[in-house]
Amino acid sequence: MAEQQEFKVAVLPCNGIGRLVSTVVRMAAYKIKKMRPEQVELLSCGRLAVGDPEHVEAARKYPLMVIDGCRPHCASFMADELGKTPAARLYVADVMAEKKINVAGEKRRGLTAKGEKLVDALAEAAVGEIDRIIADEMLSTL
Amino acid sequence: MAQKVCLQPCLGLRKESILCRQAFYVVHEDLRPETTVLGCGPALNANVQEDVDFINMYPVLAGEACDKDCATRLVAKKGKSAARTVRVVDLIAEEKLDLSDLPESENIPTDHPAVQVIAARIAAMVDELSNGA
Repeated sequence: MAEQQEFKVAVLPCNGIGRLVSTVVRMAAYKIKKMRPEQVELLSCGRLAVGDPEHVEAARKYPLMVIDGCRPHCASFMADELGKTPAARLYVADVMAEKKINVAGEKRRGLTAKGEKLVDALAEAAVGEIDRIIADEMLSTL
Repeated sequence: MAQKVCLQPCLGLRKESILCRQAFYVVHEDLRPETTVLGCGPALNANVQEDVDFINMYPVLAGEACDKDCATRLVAKKGKSAARTVRVVDLIAEEKLDLSDLPESENIPTDHPAVQVIAARIAAMVDELSNGA
């Protein structure tokens, strides 16, 4: 069991501010950490963007999952800057389309139950990817 | 005289970061919608044109949640200097705000008194910058 604790995934949410999806990604990131507290290293995009050693090291050390909120795919851009190929990428629009969730009318400064539904769906999708990445890592050592 | 001010908040993950973010929404959407633009850090880092334009066209007010000063350093990374850096933790201390009731890793409503107090302080700084102070 102790060996299993060594397997972690670094999660980089875009954590933007300009759009509704920025808030969705941020809240999903917190939920992901709560759902997999021992397996997730949550990275701050701000600290990573300015090369904070602690966050750069975590991003390089563990398999990386990026979560992009909007079209510029800023979290993916940061992974490219680091020269790191993500083990998984999530894009909010993909989850929204797949789950057929409508967030019209939601506001970026605070979500209602409608927005939380997308947060939950995004977090569930992310945790599924995290479990897959860790399983893959574990099996590669056997 | 600056027409507008670019708000560039820390987008970290800690409680103080959320407070900063929410206060900047209040400033931009409620208190000073005509004299502010809201800069997005990751978009600036990714060279999204709108966000690059913001820091080139307007004085930047960077809001920081800790002494890492990531927002200020990100603006510097893109070749500009923030006109002013404000650390939210300093404002919290000056205003004697008690954040103990605020949970980590959750959103803070924009009508929370702490958000409103910080927003009012930041709006005053916006006024100083937009008047060329």
